[in-house]
Amino acid sequence: MADTDPQLDVLARAAPDKLKHFAETLIGDLGEIDVLKSRTGLIMLPMRDTAQGTVFHLGEVLVSEAHIRAGDQQGYGMRRGHDLEAAMAMALVDLALQNDVQSEACAAFCDQAANDQAAEDRETLRRVEATRVNMETF
Amino acid sequence: MAYVATRGGERAIEQSERLFREEIGSFDAQRVNDIRQSLPYLVDRVMGEASLYDEDLAALALAQTGGEIYEAVLLLRAWRTTQPRLTVAEPVEQGDLFTHRRISAAFKDIPGGQVLGPTLDYAHRILATDVLRGDRFTPSSVEPADQPAPAQQPSVSAWQAENDLVDLPEPDQTAGGDIPDLTREPLLFPSKRAHTLQSLARADTGGVLALGYAAMRGYGQAHPTVNELRLAEADITVSHPDGRKFSAGRVKVSQAEVVSKKSEKLNLGFAATFGWNEVKCISAATLDLNSGGAPKGSATEEEFFLYHTEGVESSGFCIHFKLPHYVTFQSSLDAMRDAKAKNAAKTESATSDPAPTKSEPAE
Repeated sequence: MADTDPQLDVLARAAPDKLKHFAETLIGDLGEIDVLKSRTGLIMLPMRDTAQGTVFHLGEVLVSEAHIRAGDQQGYGMRRGHDLEAAMAMALVDLALQNDVQSEACAAFCDQAANDQAAEDRETLRRVEATRVNMETF
Repeated sequence: MAYVATRGGERAIEQSERLFREEIGSFDAQRVNDIRQSLPYLVDRVMGEASLYDEDLAALALAQTGGEIYEAVLLLRAWRTTQPRLTVAEPVEQGDLFTHRRISAAFKDIPGGQVLGPTLDYAHRILATDVLRGDRFTPSSVEPADQPAPAQQPSVSAWQAENDLVDLPEPDQTAGGDIPDLTREPLLFPSKRAHTLQSLARADTGGVLALGYAAMRGYGQAHPTVNELRLAEADITVSHPDGRKFSAGRVKVSQAEVVSKKSEKLNLGFAATFGWNEVKCISAATLDLNSGGAPKGSATEEEFFLYHTEGVESSGFCIHFKLPHYVTFQSSLDAMRDAKAKNAAKTESATSDPAPTKSEPAE
């Protein structure tokens, strides 16, 4: 995968209820916010074929997008599925991080979400590992 | 082809739709949620064939159509046209997949090992009829390993290339809006490979299986062996307006490579789709493997299998035959009656006016 921003990765996957609840605590400190976009739409997802190297389209994914601005800084949220509030919450946290608003709380939220997601992935992969086959040749 | 203009029947039509919907009954978000939770493979199949990834929408389409898959796929294909396309994500690379299952039938000792993941491949197929007598079916719990499996698994074909068994392809640098897209341009033949693979990704599972199976049984040029089969999750990598890239979430994908050994090196066929659908991927990859040099009109010829596995078009064409064809059918009947009358007249003429005999020379 291309080098990605770990905080945005985490926010896009964060539990929606927790994300919305946390974002609400930021609104008062963010000042006046312009909402540039708040909508659902589709992302076309390409994939590379391993036989001939061709890039082709797998299909489209429904996402929710929010784009906001306060002063010179912009906040952006995009998450899979139909949840405009969660996308807006992501954009608010991103904006807070860009503007150094409650930066410690934002960093703590992202760290906690990252830990939760890593633990979830680890648990999934422990279950996957249980299905590893050690074959013997007869 | 003519479609007769008929009038009337409005009430019957309305009542027939009501009858269909009433027999399914009312439903709400809870039923949609239940379908999404309890029928993930059906939801996956519908998302793949609709070429639209959203479990909630797919479950809703199934709830609304009573599980009539072609109708559900059509609903989703129609719904997607109401949404703007925001962007094109970064291409998914095999090596980045968060892998749940990765097996090879061609090589036992592949790099990274064989991980079965979720499968019924080795299960007894026994219907749990006790449930109908009031028992609860509770599956045995997985006993997780102490250590997790690696999230990413290496490519089998890359390892084969290191062993001079396959030629690794040059990576295609096409990106974003330049990638050929069947939803915005027609499928023409010979098909661009990007169109072929996109078309197979959204193809009807049963159609792909039928034609792929024909190739597997010998009506093709190459017998497939599964080189690599993966069930995984792929990140949707997009860009923030300030240029930072990030994953907007993950989607389930399946991919299959099949291989044949007709020449000095191995030939590969490939297919992938949204959701976890192994049968579709193996069948589609078999068609891809067999398409080179396929005879015109055969099941493995690209034009044949791509046209005939597009589920919305083929099911739509099939069901249109139920609609009134009174003019065309009546015309056929008229032609048939006319021919019959002419034959009858000819026969009558022949019997009433016997052919001249040798003793009575014709004049």
